Amino acid sequence: MLTQDSVFTPAIGAEPRDWLALLKPRVVSLVVFTGAIGLVIAPAHLNPILAVIAIFCIALGAGAAGAINMWYDRDIDAVMKRTCLRPIPAGKIEPGGALGFGIVLSVVSVLLMAMATNLCAAAVLAVSIIYYVVIYTMWLKRRTPQNIVIGGGAGAFPAVIGWAAATGSIGLMPILLFAIVFFWTPPHFWSLSLFASADYERAGVPMLPVVKGARHTRWNVLIYTLILLPLTLAPWALGLAGRLYGFTALILGLAFIYYAWRVLMDRQDENGVSLTGDKPARAAFKFSILYLFILFGACALDKLL
Amino acid sequence: MAKTPAPPPDENTDRMPRVELYKPSWTPEQRHEFLRRRRARNYLLLAVLAGFCGIVYAIALVKLHEYGRMW
Repeated sequence: MLTQDSVFTPAIGAEPRDWLALLKPRVVSLVVFTGAIGLVIAPAHLNPILAVIAIFCIALGAGAAGAINMWYDRDIDAVMKRTCLRPIPAGKIEPGGALGFGIVLSVVSVLLMAMATNLCAAAVLAVSIIYYVVIYTMWLKRRTPQNIVIGGGAGAFPAVIGWAAATGSIGLMPILLFAIVFFWTPPHFWSLSLFASADYERAGVPMLPVVKGARHTRWNVLIYTLILLPLTLAPWALGLAGRLYGFTALILGLAFIYYAWRVLMDRQDENGVSLTGDKPARAAFKFSILYLFILFGACALDKLL
Repeated sequence: MAKTPAPPPDENTDRMPRVELYKPSWTPEQRHEFLRRRRARNYLLLAVLAGFCGIVYAIALVKLHEYGRMW
Protein backbone atom coordinates (compact mmCIF):
# COMPACT_ATOMS: atom_id res chain seq x y z
CA MET A 1 0.00 0.00 0.00
CA LEU A 2 1.69 3.19 -1.13
CA THR A 3 0.99 6.28 0.88
CA GLN A 4 1.40 9.80 -0.39
CA ASP A 5 4.48 10.08 1.81
CA SER A 6 6.14 7.00 0.35
CA VAL A 7 5.50 8.16 -3.20
CA PHE A 8 7.73 11.19 -2.91
CA THR A 9 10.20 9.56 -0.55
CA PRO A 10 12.58 8.15 -3.23
CA ALA A 11 13.53 11.65 -4.31
CA ILE A 12 14.25 12.61 -0.72
CA GLY A 13 16.27 9.44 -0.06
CA ALA A 14 16.13 6.52 2.36
CA GLU A 15 16.78 6.67 6.09
CA PRO A 16 19.52 4.41 7.55
CA ARG A 17 16.77 2.39 9.24
CA ASP A 18 15.32 1.56 5.81
CA TRP A 19 18.63 -0.05 4.86
CA LEU A 20 18.64 -1.93 8.15
CA ALA A 21 15.08 -3.09 7.45
CA LEU A 22 16.39 -4.73 4.26
CA LEU A 23 18.36 -7.11 6.47
CA LYS A 24 15.16 -8.59 8.01
CA PRO A 25 16.29 -8.03 11.62
CA ARG A 26 13.64 -10.29 13.16
CA VAL A 27 14.63 -13.27 11.02
CA VAL A 28 18.29 -12.55 11.71
CA SER A 29 17.71 -12.69 15.48
CA LEU A 30 16.64 -16.36 15.24
CA VAL A 31 19.51 -17.11 12.88
CA VAL A 32 22.01 -15.51 15.28
CA PHE A 33 20.60 -17.55 18.14
CA THR A 34 20.88 -20.92 16.36
CA GLY A 35 24.33 -20.00 15.05
CA ALA A 36 25.51 -19.10 18.55
CA ILE A 37 24.15 -22.40 19.89
CA GLY A 38 26.09 -24.31 17.22
CA LEU A 39 29.21 -22.50 18.36
CA VAL A 40 28.60 -23.05 22.07
CA ILE A 41 27.92 -26.79 21.88
CA ALA A 42 30.87 -27.51 19.58
CA PRO A 43 33.61 -29.55 21.29
CA ALA A 44 36.33 -27.00 20.55
CA HIS A 45 37.47 -23.66 21.88
CA LEU A 46 37.28 -20.53 19.78
CA ASN A 47 38.67 -17.22 21.00
CA PRO A 48 35.71 -15.16 22.30
CA ILE A 49 36.49 -12.21 20.01
CA LEU A 50 36.61 -14.50 16.97
CA ALA A 51 33.43 -16.20 18.18
CA VAL A 52 31.60 -12.87 18.34
CA ILE A 53 32.89 -11.98 14.87
CA ALA A 54 31.77 -15.40 13.57
CA ILE A 55 28.24 -14.80 14.90
CA PHE A 56 28.30 -11.31 13.41
CA CYS A 57 29.25 -12.85 10.04
CA ILE A 58 26.34 -15.31 10.28
CA ALA A 59 23.99 -12.39 10.98
CA LEU A 60 25.48 -10.33 8.16
CA GLY A 61 25.23 -13.20 5.67
CA ALA A 62 21.62 -13.92 6.65
CA GLY A 63 20.75 -10.23 6.42
CA ALA A 64 22.46 -9.94 3.03
CA ALA A 65 20.49 -12.93 1.72
CA GLY A 66 17.34 -11.23 3.05
CA ALA A 67 18.19 -8.04 1.15
CA ILE A 68 18.64 -9.96 -2.11
CA ASN A 69 15.39 -11.80 -1.38
CA MET A 70 13.60 -8.46 -0.99
CA TRP A 71 15.10 -7.27 -4.28
CA TYR A 72 13.87 -10.38 -6.13
CA ASP A 73 10.45 -10.50 -4.45
CA ARG A 74 9.70 -6.79 -4.74
CA ASP A 75 6.80 -7.44 -7.17
CA ILE A 76 4.98 -9.87 -4.87
CA ASP A 77 5.92 -7.91 -1.73
CA ALA A 78 4.06 -4.93 -3.18
CA VAL A 79 0.75 -6.82 -3.35
CA MET A 80 0.96 -8.56 0.02
CA LYS A 81 -0.42 -6.75 3.06
CA ARG A 82 2.29 -8.22 5.30
CA THR A 83 5.16 -6.98 3.11
CA CYS A 84 3.91 -3.94 1.18
CA LEU A 85 5.63 -1.53 3.56
CA ARG A 86 9.08 -3.06 3.06
CA PRO A 87 11.62 -0.48 1.84
CA ILE A 88 11.54 -1.43 -1.87
CA PRO A 89 7.77 -1.71 -2.47
CA ALA A 90 7.26 1.39 -0.31
CA GLY A 91 9.56 3.24 -2.72
CA LYS A 92 12.15 4.14 -0.11
CA ILE A 93 15.05 2.23 -1.69
CA GLU A 94 15.79 1.63 -5.37
CA PRO A 95 15.81 -2.11 -6.31
CA GLY A 96 19.31 -1.90 -7.79
CA GLY A 97 20.62 -0.33 -4.60
CA ALA A 98 19.15 -3.14 -2.52
CA LEU A 99 20.69 -5.79 -4.80
CA GLY A 100 24.13 -4.16 -4.63
CA PHE A 101 23.81 -3.81 -0.85
CA GLY A 102 22.96 -7.52 -0.52
CA ILE A 103 25.77 -8.71 -2.79
CA VAL A 104 28.42 -6.55 -1.09
CA LEU A 105 27.35 -7.68 2.38
CA SER A 106 27.27 -11.34 1.26
CA VAL A 107 30.84 -11.16 -0.03
CA VAL A 108 32.04 -9.25 3.05
CA SER A 109 30.40 -11.74 5.45
CA VAL A 110 31.99 -14.76 3.74
CA LEU A 111 35.45 -13.11 3.55
CA LEU A 112 35.33 -12.02 7.19
CA MET A 113 34.22 -15.50 8.23
CA ALA A 114 37.16 -17.05 6.36
CA MET A 115 39.56 -14.58 8.00
CA ALA A 116 38.15 -14.94 11.51
CA THR A 117 37.58 -18.71 11.61
CA ASN A 118 38.21 -21.18 8.79
CA LEU A 119 37.38 -22.00 5.18
CA CYS A 120 34.87 -24.71 6.14
CA ALA A 121 32.65 -22.22 8.02
CA ALA A 122 33.03 -19.64 5.25
CA ALA A 123 32.10 -22.22 2.61
CA VAL A 124 28.98 -23.32 4.52
CA LEU A 125 28.01 -19.65 4.98
CA ALA A 126 28.41 -19.05 1.22
CA VAL A 127 26.35 -22.16 0.45
CA SER A 128 23.61 -21.01 2.85
CA ILE A 129 23.37 -17.61 1.15
CA ILE A 130 23.24 -19.20 -2.33
CA TYR A 131 20.72 -21.78 -1.10
CA TYR A 132 18.37 -19.09 0.23
CA VAL A 133 18.72 -16.72 -2.71
CA VAL A 134 18.90 -19.11 -5.66
CA ILE A 135 17.28 -22.38 -4.58
CA TYR A 136 14.53 -20.98 -2.34
CA THR A 137 13.82 -17.42 -3.53
CA MET A 138 14.46 -17.68 -7.27
CA TRP A 139 13.67 -21.32 -7.96
CA LEU A 140 11.25 -22.93 -5.51
CA LYS A 141 9.20 -20.18 -3.90
CA ARG A 142 7.03 -19.40 -6.92
CA ARG A 143 6.98 -22.88 -8.44
CA THR A 144 5.98 -25.49 -5.89
CA PRO A 145 3.84 -25.76 -2.75
CA GLN A 146 6.78 -27.68 -1.27
CA ASN A 147 8.80 -24.43 -1.38
CA ILE A 148 8.96 -24.17 2.40
CA VAL A 149 9.97 -27.81 2.89
CA ILE A 150 13.11 -27.61 0.76
CA GLY A 151 13.67 -23.91 1.40
CA GLY A 152 13.69 -24.65 5.12
CA GLY A 153 17.26 -25.81 4.63
CA ALA A 154 18.36 -22.20 4.30
CA GLY A 155 17.35 -21.43 7.87
CA ALA A 156 18.90 -24.67 9.10
CA PHE A 157 22.47 -23.76 8.15
CA PRO A 158 23.44 -21.33 10.97
CA ALA A 159 23.87 -24.05 13.62
CA VAL A 160 26.15 -25.92 11.20
CA ILE A 161 28.12 -22.72 10.48
CA GLY A 162 28.55 -22.05 14.20
CA TRP A 163 29.81 -25.60 14.78
CA ALA A 164 32.14 -25.42 11.76
CA ALA A 165 33.50 -22.05 12.94
CA ALA A 166 34.65 -23.64 16.20
CA THR A 167 35.80 -27.04 14.95
CA GLY A 168 36.67 -26.53 11.28
CA SER A 169 34.56 -29.56 10.37
CA ILE A 170 30.97 -30.86 10.37
CA GLY A 171 29.92 -33.66 12.71
CA LEU A 172 26.77 -35.66 13.46
CA MET A 173 25.40 -33.17 16.03
CA PRO A 174 25.25 -30.17 13.65
CA ILE A 175 23.63 -32.41 11.03
CA LEU A 176 20.96 -33.34 13.59
CA LEU A 177 20.45 -29.65 14.44
CA PHE A 178 20.15 -28.95 10.72
CA ALA A 179 17.51 -31.67 10.42
CA ILE A 180 15.59 -30.31 13.42
CA VAL A 181 15.33 -26.80 11.93
CA PHE A 182 14.60 -28.34 8.51
CA PHE A 183 11.58 -30.25 9.84
CA TRP A 184 10.54 -27.41 12.17
CA THR A 185 10.22 -24.92 9.30
CA PRO A 186 7.17 -26.42 7.48
CA PRO A 187 4.78 -26.47 10.49
CA HIS A 188 6.07 -23.02 11.47
CA PHE A 189 5.45 -21.47 8.04
CA TRP A 190 2.30 -23.41 7.20
CA SER A 191 0.75 -22.18 10.46
CA LEU A 192 1.52 -18.66 9.27
CA SER A 193 0.27 -19.33 5.75
CA LEU A 194 -3.05 -20.64 7.09
CA PHE A 195 -3.98 -17.19 8.35
CA ALA A 196 -2.10 -15.28 5.61
CA SER A 197 -3.19 -17.43 2.65
CA ALA A 198 -5.22 -14.61 1.08
CA ASP A 199 -2.03 -12.58 0.89
CA TYR A 200 -0.11 -15.43 -0.76
CA GLU A 201 -2.99 -16.11 -3.15
CA ARG A 202 -3.09 -12.47 -4.24
CA ALA A 203 0.66 -12.57 -4.88
CA GLY A 204 0.43 -15.88 -6.78
CA VAL A 205 2.80 -17.69 -4.41
CA PRO A 206 1.84 -21.40 -4.42
CA MET A 207 1.82 -21.91 -0.65
CA LEU A 208 0.28 -25.19 0.47
CA PRO A 209 -3.08 -23.72 1.65
CA VAL A 210 -3.44 -21.90 -1.68
CA VAL A 211 -2.71 -24.95 -3.86
CA LYS A 212 -3.94 -27.90 -1.78
CA GLY A 213 -6.35 -26.19 0.58
CA ALA A 214 -6.46 -25.48 4.29
CA ARG A 215 -7.47 -29.01 5.37
CA HIS A 216 -4.51 -30.62 3.60
CA THR A 217 -2.21 -28.02 5.21
CA ARG A 218 -3.59 -28.72 8.69
CA TRP A 219 -2.80 -32.42 8.29
CA ASN A 220 0.72 -31.59 7.08
CA VAL A 221 1.35 -29.35 10.10
CA LEU A 222 0.48 -32.29 12.36
CA ILE A 223 2.54 -34.81 10.37
CA TYR A 224 5.66 -32.66 10.50
CA THR A 225 5.35 -32.08 14.25
CA LEU A 226 5.06 -35.87 14.66
CA ILE A 227 8.27 -36.34 12.64
CA LEU A 228 9.94 -33.61 14.66
CA LEU A 229 9.47 -35.31 18.04
CA PRO A 230 11.72 -38.38 17.49
CA LEU A 231 14.18 -36.23 15.57
CA THR A 232 14.62 -33.81 18.49
CA LEU A 233 15.07 -36.78 20.84
CA ALA A 234 17.83 -38.25 18.64
CA PRO A 235 20.72 -36.18 20.14
CA TRP A 236 19.79 -37.49 23.60
CA ALA A 237 19.23 -41.06 22.37
CA LEU A 238 22.61 -41.06 20.61
CA GLY A 239 24.40 -39.71 23.66
CA LEU A 240 25.21 -36.37 22.04
CA ALA A 241 23.11 -34.41 24.55
CA GLY A 242 22.14 -34.96 28.17
CA ARG A 243 18.92 -35.63 30.07
CA LEU A 244 18.06 -31.95 30.49
CA TYR A 245 17.92 -31.60 26.73
CA GLY A 246 16.08 -34.90 26.29
CA PHE A 247 13.40 -33.97 28.83
CA THR A 248 12.95 -30.48 27.34
CA ALA A 249 12.71 -31.91 23.81
CA LEU A 250 10.05 -34.40 24.93
CA ILE A 251 7.89 -31.78 26.69
CA LEU A 252 8.26 -29.26 23.85
CA GLY A 253 7.58 -31.90 21.20
CA LEU A 254 4.38 -33.03 22.92
CA ALA A 255 3.28 -29.40 23.32
CA PHE A 256 3.95 -28.71 19.62
CA ILE A 257 1.89 -31.79 18.67
CA TYR A 258 -0.92 -30.50 20.90
CA TYR A 259 -0.83 -27.10 19.13
CA ALA A 260 -0.80 -28.85 15.73
CA TRP A 261 -3.73 -31.02 16.84
CA ARG A 262 -5.66 -27.87 17.76
CA VAL A 263 -4.91 -26.48 14.28
CA LEU A 264 -6.33 -29.68 12.76
CA MET A 265 -9.40 -29.66 15.01
CA ASP A 266 -10.16 -25.94 14.52
CA ARG A 267 -13.80 -25.24 13.61
CA GLN A 268 -13.83 -25.14 9.81
CA ASP A 269 -16.14 -24.90 6.84
CA GLU A 270 -16.33 -27.67 4.20
CA ASN A 271 -13.07 -26.39 2.59
CA GLY A 272 -11.14 -26.47 5.85
CA VAL A 273 -11.18 -22.68 6.21
CA SER A 274 -11.24 -21.60 9.85
CA LEU A 275 -14.40 -20.21 11.41
CA THR A 276 -12.48 -18.92 14.43
CA GLY A 277 -10.19 -16.44 12.68
CA ASP A 278 -7.44 -19.10 12.67
CA LYS A 279 -6.78 -18.66 16.37
CA PRO A 280 -5.16 -22.13 16.75
CA ALA A 281 -2.90 -21.50 13.74
CA ARG A 282 -1.81 -18.14 15.18
CA ALA A 283 -1.10 -19.81 18.52
CA ALA A 284 0.86 -22.61 16.81
CA PHE A 285 2.91 -20.07 14.86
CA LYS A 286 3.82 -18.14 18.03
CA PHE A 287 4.57 -21.33 19.93
CA SER A 288 6.81 -22.64 17.13
CA ILE A 289 9.16 -19.66 17.59
CA LEU A 290 9.27 -20.17 21.34
CA TYR A 291 9.78 -23.90 20.74
CA LEU A 292 12.98 -23.43 18.77
CA PHE A 293 14.39 -20.88 21.22
CA ILE A 294 13.78 -23.13 24.23
CA LEU A 295 14.93 -26.34 22.48
CA PHE A 296 18.24 -24.84 21.32
CA GLY A 297 18.64 -23.01 24.63
CA ALA A 298 18.26 -26.32 26.48
CA CYS A 299 20.84 -27.87 24.17
CA ALA A 300 23.38 -25.16 25.10
CA LEU A 301 22.48 -25.26 28.78
CA ASP A 302 22.88 -29.01 28.80
CA LYS A 303 26.38 -28.66 27.39
CA LEU A 304 27.37 -25.87 29.80
CA LEU A 305 26.08 -27.57 32.98
CA MET B 1 48.02 29.24 -38.62
CA ALA B 2 45.12 30.64 -36.63
CA LYS B 3 43.87 28.31 -33.91
CA THR B 4 40.30 27.12 -34.42
CA PRO B 5 38.18 28.00 -31.39
CA ALA B 6 36.64 25.05 -29.51
CA PRO B 7 32.99 24.44 -30.38
CA PRO B 8 30.44 25.36 -27.72
CA PRO B 9 29.24 22.41 -25.60
CA ASP B 10 26.37 20.63 -27.25
CA GLU B 11 23.78 19.20 -24.90
CA ASN B 12 23.17 16.27 -27.28
CA THR B 13 26.80 15.11 -27.27
CA ASP B 14 27.59 15.89 -23.65
CA ARG B 15 27.16 12.46 -22.04
CA MET B 16 28.42 13.30 -18.56
CA PRO B 17 25.70 12.45 -16.05
CA ARG B 18 24.32 15.48 -14.30
CA VAL B 19 23.87 15.08 -10.59
CA GLU B 20 20.76 16.86 -9.48
CA LEU B 21 21.16 17.58 -5.81
CA TYR B 22 17.98 19.50 -5.27
CA LYS B 23 14.74 19.42 -7.14
CA PRO B 24 13.61 22.98 -7.86
CA SER B 25 10.07 21.99 -6.95
CA TRP B 26 11.06 21.03 -3.39
CA THR B 27 9.82 23.07 -0.48
CA PRO B 28 12.39 24.22 2.12
CA GLU B 29 11.12 21.44 4.42
CA GLN B 30 11.71 18.78 1.77
CA ARG B 31 15.19 20.13 1.08
CA HIS B 32 15.94 20.09 4.80
CA GLU B 33 14.70 16.50 5.03
CA PHE B 34 16.84 15.48 2.05
CA LEU B 35 19.95 16.97 3.69
CA ARG B 36 19.14 15.35 7.03
CA ARG B 37 18.72 11.90 5.50
CA ARG B 38 21.85 12.24 3.39
CA ARG B 39 23.86 13.24 6.46
CA ALA B 40 22.47 10.27 8.39
CA ARG B 41 23.38 7.89 5.56
CA ASN B 42 26.89 9.30 5.35
CA TYR B 43 27.44 8.87 9.09
CA LEU B 44 26.12 5.31 8.87
CA LEU B 45 28.51 4.55 6.01
CA LEU B 46 31.37 6.03 8.01
CA ALA B 47 30.44 3.86 10.99
CA VAL B 48 30.22 0.75 8.77
CA LEU B 49 33.63 1.37 7.20
CA ALA B 50 35.21 2.10 10.58
CA GLY B 51 33.57 -1.05 11.97
CA PHE B 52 34.91 -3.13 9.08
CA CYS B 53 38.46 -1.81 9.67
CA GLY B 54 38.07 -2.49 13.39
CA ILE B 55 36.94 -6.08 12.78
CA VAL B 56 39.81 -6.83 10.39
CA TYR B 57 42.24 -5.27 12.88
CA ALA B 58 40.80 -7.32 15.74
CA ILE B 59 40.99 -10.55 13.70
CA ALA B 60 44.62 -9.83 12.81
CA LEU B 61 45.57 -9.07 16.43
CA VAL B 62 43.86 -12.15 17.87
CA LYS B 63 45.08 -14.56 15.21
CA LEU B 64 48.65 -13.35 15.24
CA HIS B 65 48.71 -13.34 19.05
CA GLU B 66 47.01 -16.71 19.48
CA TYR B 67 48.17 -18.73 16.47
CA GLY B 68 51.14 -16.73 15.17
CA ARG B 69 49.63 -16.65 11.68
CA MET B 70 46.64 -15.18 9.87
CA TRP B 71 45.62 -18.25 7.84
